[in-house]
Amino acid sequence: MQKTEAQQLAQIRKDLKEMLVRDLSLEDIKPEDIKDNEILFGNGLGLDSLDAVEIVVLLQRNYGLEVKDMEKGKEIFYSIDTLARYIQENRKNVS
Amino acid sequence: MNILGIGIVFNRGRGINCFENALQEGWQGPAEVEVPYLKNKKSFVYQVDSQTISDKTLLRKMRRSDKLSKMAVLSASDALKSSGIENLSPSPNPSSRHIGREGEKIGVIVATAFGAHVKTFDFLDDILDYGEDSVSPTTFSNSVHNAAASYVSSTLDIHGPTLTVTQFYFSFQYAMQLARAWLNEKRCDYILVGAVEQYGDVLGYVYDCKLTPAPDGRIKPFNFNPTFQVPGEGAVFFLMGRENSENSFCEVENIMIGEYREFKTGVDLNIIDTDGMLPDESVYMQSISPDIHTAAYSPLFGSMMTGSAFNCAAGALMLKNQKYYANPVLDNPHGINILIGNNPPISKGGMGGFSEQTKRSDIELIRCIRYSCHSEKAAIYLRKNH
Repeated sequence: MQKTEAQQLAQIRKDLKEMLVRDLSLEDIKPEDIKDNEILFGNGLGLDSLDAVEIVVLLQRNYGLEVKDMEKGKEIFYSIDTLARYIQENRKNVS
Repeated sequence: MNILGIGIVFNRGRGINCFENALQEGWQGPAEVEVPYLKNKKSFVYQVDSQTISDKTLLRKMRRSDKLSKMAVLSASDALKSSGIENLSPSPNPSSRHIGREGEKIGVIVATAFGAHVKTFDFLDDILDYGEDSVSPTTFSNSVHNAAASYVSSTLDIHGPTLTVTQFYFSFQYAMQLARAWLNEKRCDYILVGAVEQYGDVLGYVYDCKLTPAPDGRIKPFNFNPTFQVPGEGAVFFLMGRENSENSFCEVENIMIGEYREFKTGVDLNIIDTDGMLPDESVYMQSISPDIHTAAYSPLFGSMMTGSAFNCAAGALMLKNQKYYANPVLDNPHGINILIGNNPPISKGGMGGFSEQTKRSDIELIRCIRYSCHSEKAAIYLRKNH
């Protein structure tokens, strides 16, 4: 059965949380602990600039998306929700 | 040059006390792990489990680091603590500077044969799987050979010279020689000298192809030919200093590599590095004397190119505690004079043996011997502190 857009978005959010915890080695954080609107960098989840580069690579690998404009990247990488919406609107193929 | 502190991470746990317990308890079977290149077959490995390297306080700033660096940092930190020297013990508060100004006086030398090979192969796999544009930057940073040494200095707030020494057979011996030079030149007051190796699938595959895996999981160090290996992993760090201290283990009297005049007089025990990493280890027979007891502790921690560091830790413990630790595996087809009990009888004496005046419990000098496949020899002489 075809998933609705809302279901697809929820699935991307879930996948993203699992991916960040696993691939950024976020110790003591479970995917379900990350809130959809939680700020990812700085005082939020506490990610740093190297994590940003890692997320760029993860988006490229898993969704075929390239983020080259870092100004735009700040908006995209704001939270799980903004990341998920960007992926839903722009992804070429899901692995 | 003196050994002031020792930190160790190996398959049976973390800390010098844990290593001492292993020496007292003797041999235990290695873990059996599944290997991707052998279908429906397992391989014996002396592997360090994740529990051993979980230290939330010390590793708080190291979430991106790999297993190799974590093992190195934990054992280096424990070496500082074990020295008991004030101002050198890392602070329990990770937000504070660990060592402060004392960190400027400490150097770091990491010896490794294969280094971060697991991450190096991960990095190469990433290039093959995703192309060179999509390689993880974290994997790359952990794949470089100096990563472990850098993590040691940054995590422990050490500001002295930091270096990684890689030499296939004698990394640890060369690292020790360099430490001695730095101390003699007064470049540092203390040096953390360590050896670290990690097991990985690629290394396991190479070992299986080139060497003989022990069918029962037991390295037999006195077999010499054929030899049997069981891969190991872990880290040992020694805090070295010019002067000895209240807690110091022993003096490193000499480090000899290559062609040199043999220095046997007064040696109480030979510790040999036989661990199946050479297909034929008969060359070790040249260094064994019927008058001197011989020991090999590789069956406790596994086969490693830097296994010398673990054997040196065993020797240092014996000199500090004035106590022999029996060989963990006693198979002795050549009938050599191996250390069996914790209190061996006094030998006949003379060149290389116990002197007539030596008390039963006195252990003065231990020689740790290693050979390369080209029959090149290295020896580290450890002497009791007085």
